[in-house]
Amino acid sequence: MATTAPEHFQGHVDHHGHADHDHKPSFFARWFMSTNHKDIGTMYLIFAIIAGIIGGLFSGMMRVELAEPGIQYLDIFARWFGATNPDFNSTLHVWNVLITAHGLIMVFFMVMPAMIGGFGNWFVPLMIGAPDMAFPRMNNISFWLTVAGFISLLCSAFVPGGTGLGAGTGWTVYAPLSTSGSPGPAVDFGIFALHLSGAGSIMGAINFITTIFNMRAPGMTMHKMPLFVWSMLVTAFLLLLSLPVLAAAITMLLTDRNFGTTFFDPSGGGDPVLYQHLFWFFGHPEVYIMILPGFGIISQIVSTFSKKPVFGYLGMAYAMVAIGVVGFIVWAHHMYATGMSVNTKMYFTAATMVIAVPTGVKIFSWIATMWGGSLEFKSPMVWALGFIFLFTVGGVTGVVLANGGVDDVLHDTYYVVAHFHYVLSLGAVTALFAGFYYWFPKMSGRMHSEFLAHVHFWIFFVGVNMIFFPMHFLGLQGMPRRYPDYAEAYQHWNHVATIGYMVMASSLVIWFINIAYAFLAGRKAEDSYWGEGATTLEWTLTSPPPFHQFETLPVIEEAAHH
Amino acid sequence: MILGKTVRTLGEAAKALGLYSVAAMAFSSSLAASSAIAAPAPEAVASYTPMKPTPGIGMPVEGGIGLQQQFSKLGEYGEWIHDGVLMPIITVITLFVLLLLVIIAVRYNRRTNPVASKTSHNTILEVVWTLVPVLILIGIAVPSIDLIAKQYKPAPKGALTIKVTGNQWFWTYGYPDNGDFEVVSNMLNLPGQPTINNGVREVGSKPWDGPSHLEVDNRMVVPVGEPVRLQITAADVIHSFAVPSLWFKLDAVPGRINEKVLFVEKPGVYYGQCSELCGAKHGYMPIAVEALPRAQYDAWVLTHAGGVIDGQAQPAAAAPAGAPATGAEPAPAASADPGAAATGEATEAAASTAAASAE
Amino acid sequence: MVQAAASEAAPSEAAASLTEGRRSNRRVGLIALSMALLMLGLGYASVPLYRIFCQVTGYGGTTQRADETKAAGVQVTDRTMSIRFDANVERGMPWQFKPLQRTDTVTIGERDMALFWAKNDSDKVITGTASFNVEPEQAARYFNKIQCFCFTEQTLQPGEAVKMPVIYYVDPAILNDPDNKDVEQITLSYTFHVTSVSDAKTLDHSRTGG
Repeated sequence: MATTAPEHFQGHVDHHGHADHDHKPSFFARWFMSTNHKDIGTMYLIFAIIAGIIGGLFSGMMRVELAEPGIQYLDIFARWFGATNPDFNSTLHVWNVLITAHGLIMVFFMVMPAMIGGFGNWFVPLMIGAPDMAFPRMNNISFWLTVAGFISLLCSAFVPGGTGLGAGTGWTVYAPLSTSGSPGPAVDFGIFALHLSGAGSIMGAINFITTIFNMRAPGMTMHKMPLFVWSMLVTAFLLLLSLPVLAAAITMLLTDRNFGTTFFDPSGGGDPVLYQHLFWFFGHPEVYIMILPGFGIISQIVSTFSKKPVFGYLGMAYAMVAIGVVGFIVWAHHMYATGMSVNTKMYFTAATMVIAVPTGVKIFSWIATMWGGSLEFKSPMVWALGFIFLFTVGGVTGVVLANGGVDDVLHDTYYVVAHFHYVLSLGAVTALFAGFYYWFPKMSGRMHSEFLAHVHFWIFFVGVNMIFFPMHFLGLQGMPRRYPDYAEAYQHWNHVATIGYMVMASSLVIWFINIAYAFLAGRKAEDSYWGEGATTLEWTLTSPPPFHQFETLPVIEEAAHH
Repeated sequence: MILGKTVRTLGEAAKALGLYSVAAMAFSSSLAASSAIAAPAPEAVASYTPMKPTPGIGMPVEGGIGLQQQFSKLGEYGEWIHDGVLMPIITVITLFVLLLLVIIAVRYNRRTNPVASKTSHNTILEVVWTLVPVLILIGIAVPSIDLIAKQYKPAPKGALTIKVTGNQWFWTYGYPDNGDFEVVSNMLNLPGQPTINNGVREVGSKPWDGPSHLEVDNRMVVPVGEPVRLQITAADVIHSFAVPSLWFKLDAVPGRINEKVLFVEKPGVYYGQCSELCGAKHGYMPIAVEALPRAQYDAWVLTHAGGVIDGQAQPAAAAPAGAPATGAEPAPAASADPGAAATGEATEAAASTAAASAE
Repeated sequence: MVQAAASEAAPSEAAASLTEGRRSNRRVGLIALSMALLMLGLGYASVPLYRIFCQVTGYGGTTQRADETKAAGVQVTDRTMSIRFDANVERGMPWQFKPLQRTDTVTIGERDMALFWAKNDSDKVITGTASFNVEPEQAARYFNKIQCFCFTEQTLQPGEAVKMPVIYYVDPAILNDPDNKDVEQITLSYTFHVTSVSDAKTLDHSRTGG
């Protein structure tokens, strides 16, 4: 699967007189035992695309089932997963497997690998002028742990998980549904998948932290680092501090399931609500883990295509730090309905609303960066503008949901689904596409078609808004999430959303055509193909960069930009 | 140590039991209970026909884009916060951002503005866009925190208590103040779909049936216009009891109860659905709350074996404040012998009649 | 803006700085790893910490436990509070479990006793444990149990029925707590869970009450 890109990388000859260092290992050694941050980044990106296709297919299966009331297709899907003559309960269980797999895949195996493993690996060393990551071999282990985790998750779909095949607990894996409520090995496979990918991500976080602290080129002070590097640093700390808590929580689930412990089981003095606290202590930073690198990407793009330095650089950097810090003390806003005390609810309402302040600083700083600029609407910029608007929509509905009293009608409805898809599917994924078009020629050495990239954007933009905007209406009307079937009154907007899915999916076809076009007929990319606005270090290198870059460290002068 | 405690407890128990000799045990013969209340409430006749819901009330409406119409004071307050405070603010903010983006696209593109400015700092601007959101958020927080405070106001003295239990995949409603009968509530089957609940009729087969996916065989009946204390728990996994038109959502967590006040302003049928993933039929355990005027509620209560109108026996059982045993509020003055095993059996009998919930 | 590093640096110097860099990498990496391990430890420690937190603050409706001496020193007031009793069994547990009084009015500060009744409907010896909480939640820190069947496991023989007492008092400090000023009734809820099932005819009777 990691074989599509290499030829184009190998075509490159290093002109900087380090040819003796630039010889590449054999195919197997290069792609399976890789220690090169760019190769590992490429593998992460390809992996994320594959995982994204699978997770996207699952969402397509869900949308087609939701196109009208009643159960139409789940029975067929149950057979795809290997059930023979599924009864009604195991048919319905397939739905829960789909929502679980979609959530876990998109979070752990699509957005995170693409943002952190893909763009992070590729561009953090380039942007700080480092020859590679601090621990190249650990980098490789991180990647293959993620792959192993994904395989474990896929395996879980084919083994018993309670009422049917596969783990049907939701990505949150709440006890006791995930413990006494789901006998069979499927949930164990799912938990193991999280262990593996979590271990990989923790190693990745250690690697990024060390790289960013230690491997910056001379003159590249912390306050001169590009904002993408800042975003990766904050993200790495969030990973480092939150993932171990998840690891502990799901390990306790595992022992509750298999070894008779009662951490979350009231029969032995445990508390199922404690699991939710632990999960969301991880889960809330996790949503920032998914979006912060996107913030970084957008900052780079907005600056490049405005031909202006980022407005309020320090404010931007410390807004991300603030979001990261506050992100650790707001977790229970995911648990307003669990029956928490009045003071707790008031605290979490207030604390959650605080996050809107640094987020607002980011939005307005991007706008101020563009204000007075000389904007070029190249594809990455169009995607970035789309991001700013869509993220604003997702952000303001977050302010609505932050209110503990209002959450009483909106919690666990489609309003929440709309909110987090606006910040993640339309936010993080839009940022991923923006980053993809921004850096794809740098990574591959070939230019994509700007026309197709614009068409991709507009169709995608229309499609995702068609899917997710009506979900606000469904949520306000009370439609609960994680339902395979619904009352007739909900049909109209569900139908619109399903059509929106098809529109969105067709835009992805254009994206794949664009990639194929770039490799088959794309013009060769120059070193700094976006022109004068692109000022970070990766643009000083060839496209693609040499196999080993910065063997002589670059020196950043005093007057350097941000 | 345990033995010591046991002995001590036994001693305490014996002492207390002595004091309890005239105490009313809530769990006494249900027959005695109903006969006891029959006299003071002659108008209360056991009768009940389920109410026909009004289309669009207490349920989602086709193509609806806003909150369901609210039928509680808190709901109206919450609706105002959402529709009157939050929605205008977030709409204005979103349109403001959109407007700025459009202005930028028009004024600062490469053609109209070929040379970019190099401005990258403006302290006043940065302070403004930090402080203005803070002020807006404070503006939102004031009513929002007030709403939370109101939601947590405990039930007043003498409020009726109803016990809600989430099960895979149905709800049971216990009426401890009304003779402790229990109502089992299953979703009605859908025509043309696989059977969801065995032995339950199809939706639409009775004139009072509401929308499919939302209507149940036995609704949760509550009195209208008075605060009702809902105590919510689950028997297996976590469920969530939610009724959008009553601004109510509270998780049903196994091993503990959660409590919240439900207040319905108008008679009617209000639908909701389980709102915490609870397994295969999570989508098929709706909630139907039927709010009836007090007299009709009492009449509904009496249709159940062991049904007792709450509060009526209270004067009879009233004991001086501070006495160790004042008995249960709905307690009929049936004197069960607490020392004998008979109490246990009486309780058992009561429990078994209660279990046979009304059709 | 960006220049190639001056190449006059001697190769040995560069090598030295490289190994120094490696050592420093290891140090930073190990610090980061230890932070991760600390968080992992905190994840596990959260279980006892959460329990202690609940016990101390009454969070989650956790009742307080008082011994005889503490209970004896409590000032009895002239105010009363209604107490409601609630009993549940987890799904599949073949026990009946009921309070023998639905509600009770107690004098705040004075100890009182409530009785619960349980019967084993199965033909197995079943040991159960009761989980419990108090609603409204903010009242929990003032709800003191001196003696409770929930402190220990309860074993019932096939068909056996028992009455189980709870001896408790409401701390008069509740009267001074603004969070509790509107509380008219406190509910004490129990849920029985199966701890073990056995066919053994003789089992240690550690249960209380009767």
